[in-house]
Amino acid sequence: MTDHDEAEKPERKSLGGDLVLPIGAFVFTLYYFYTIIDVPRIAQISAFFVGSILIVLIAILAVRIGKEVKAGTADLRLGPLVEPHSFIPTRLALFGLTLGFIVLIEWLGFTIIVFLFLALAMLLLSKGQNKGMIFAVASVLAIGGYLLFIVAFSTRFPAGPFEQLMEKLF
Amino acid sequence: MEFDPGLFIGLFARTFTFWWVILPAIFLGLIVGAIPGFSAANTIIILLPLTLAMDPEVGLIFMVALYASSRMGAGIPAILVNIPGTAGAAATPLDGYPMTRQGRGQQALAISFVSSVFGGLLATLITLLAMPWLSQVAYYLFSVEMIVVMLFGISLIATIAARDTLKGLIAGFFGLMIGYIGADVVYETPRGTFGFLELYDKVPLIPALVGLFAVSEAFAVIENQSILSERGKAAMQKAGWSETLEGVRIALSKWWHITWTSLIGLVIGVVPGAGAAIAAFVAYQQSRAFSKTPELYGTGHVEGLIAPESANNGVTSGTLVPLLVIGIPGGATAAIMLVVLQYHGITMGPDLFMESPELAYGPFAAMAVTYFIMIFTILPLARYMSKITVVSTIYMSPIIISFTLVGAFVPRQYMFDMYLALVFGVIGYIARKTGYHTAAILIGVILGPLLETYFLRALKMSEGDVMVIFSSTLANVLWVALVASLVLPYVLQRRRKLRRGQEAEAGGTTE
Repeated sequence: MTDHDEAEKPERKSLGGDLVLPIGAFVFTLYYFYTIIDVPRIAQISAFFVGSILIVLIAILAVRIGKEVKAGTADLRLGPLVEPHSFIPTRLALFGLTLGFIVLIEWLGFTIIVFLFLALAMLLLSKGQNKGMIFAVASVLAIGGYLLFIVAFSTRFPAGPFEQLMEKLF
Repeated sequence: MEFDPGLFIGLFARTFTFWWVILPAIFLGLIVGAIPGFSAANTIIILLPLTLAMDPEVGLIFMVALYASSRMGAGIPAILVNIPGTAGAAATPLDGYPMTRQGRGQQALAISFVSSVFGGLLATLITLLAMPWLSQVAYYLFSVEMIVVMLFGISLIATIAARDTLKGLIAGFFGLMIGYIGADVVYETPRGTFGFLELYDKVPLIPALVGLFAVSEAFAVIENQSILSERGKAAMQKAGWSETLEGVRIALSKWWHITWTSLIGLVIGVVPGAGAAIAAFVAYQQSRAFSKTPELYGTGHVEGLIAPESANNGVTSGTLVPLLVIGIPGGATAAIMLVVLQYHGITMGPDLFMESPELAYGPFAAMAVTYFIMIFTILPLARYMSKITVVSTIYMSPIIISFTLVGAFVPRQYMFDMYLALVFGVIGYIARKTGYHTAAILIGVILGPLLETYFLRALKMSEGDVMVIFSSTLANVLWVALVASLVLPYVLQRRRKLRRGQEAEAGGTTE
């Protein structure tokens, strides 16, 4: 095959990513059906009605993608789901920080965890630049959030060392 | 419940004297409406000690003003950062956010404010005049009819995600299955809960909203320095007060569009449980179905922004109709109002209109006055609010994640709900990246429990006969309308193509 032939060949679409959500939906629907096996018939009808339609729709999509792959116009790479590849490490790190935010809020409390999350996530996204500005923004927003949500709206967020100290002081 | 002009004029004049209650309620409502998780309903709950201590009339005016302004507040983050403040504003970003990306955020806000105010005002005035007839709507809709109404909502999914209808339907039906999680209302059997007790009471809406819209968006936008396109940045730098005025002019020129979409909101609002989210999507779909340029919807089209905004504000007065006429609240906020009024010994129903007309009609007068005051207080802010879009995603993304996740915690105060929001964030991210519509999933999650409840009731009454869904004349009329709403856009599109083809041919012949 010459370079000229390669250039003329249309680019193949990556449709593997399109199947991720339907596969998840299909597995969940089967699990849901499993959980309603023993319930009265009347309570099953509605779920079977909706779930069956979903499975039929997923099957139609699978056939459509299968036809394109067979015709050579598409392949099963994940494509847009993982592109641009250069952002995968940053995105995974941000996900890790978000998970840490939820796990640690019970121990550190609202104000401290918001400050830490904002500062670390902003440093991650800015690749370590503008440290002074980032710490200032994180501090103002954490304190502002404390005043708005906890002091003004009396929201019962998990209290940490900062909230306990403030309660003792005021 | 007869029309008495003297009573209404006196009522409006009296309500204006309560500006000192309405003004703080407007600003509070705008703030709580804009923060996901802080709806008008839970703010009124937080402020119950205050409202219970107030005179019933003052308390009612305060609650109504907060309710109306929170509806408008929810549209602000939906337009500027693609995060609806409440489910009622979930259809707003479909065209509002693309406008922002084009650097027309200020104009979009002005259009949204004018549509909300005039839509809400019009619906309120019509409610006042048509109260006796509107109150009858709820009497005609039983479980069978409601199944069709719900399916109507689901059918919108296909047309909203028109770039790929199949993907739209998969997203919507997946959302429905998620909405079916939890214990059913008749047998109380937990289904699809993965063993989590927190899911027995169905999937909470706010974590779903936060995850699907906010968290997924925050993870997606980090690829770019700004949410604005290059053209959008240039447009934003040039934007001045003229952008707000242009937005007002555009919205006012679409006065007929505001009128009929707000009426959709009003009628849907009268049906208990239907709510603003359904009204906004129905209005959006109908607006698109009858548009001469349906292909522009989803790209920053003005009518696509006007329809959901005027409809979800039309709902606000609609939800108060069943509350005042038959004592059945049309939504969560109306239910809390009922509690406050009952605390003061006020009984809802037809007698209220005879014994205390100022209390019966008062909420509508308060709503109209709120909308009137709101337009003067909020329009000048559009220019400054839109500046948020120039903030770099380096700052924006972490702020969105942290503050919306804590918003997911607020309604039920379960740590579980923050994890749930993160799971929905992952689902939303995959959906965004692979062309499934997050709004379609959300409609499914909203409609799932409602559809199942009406299905169960209808089947229980018919002793399991599935054909019950075709057993009423009104339901059958609605079935026909449902099929028509699915088929009509394709027929109109084909007709337009044919006409364009004929015109092109005629042009060619002439040449």
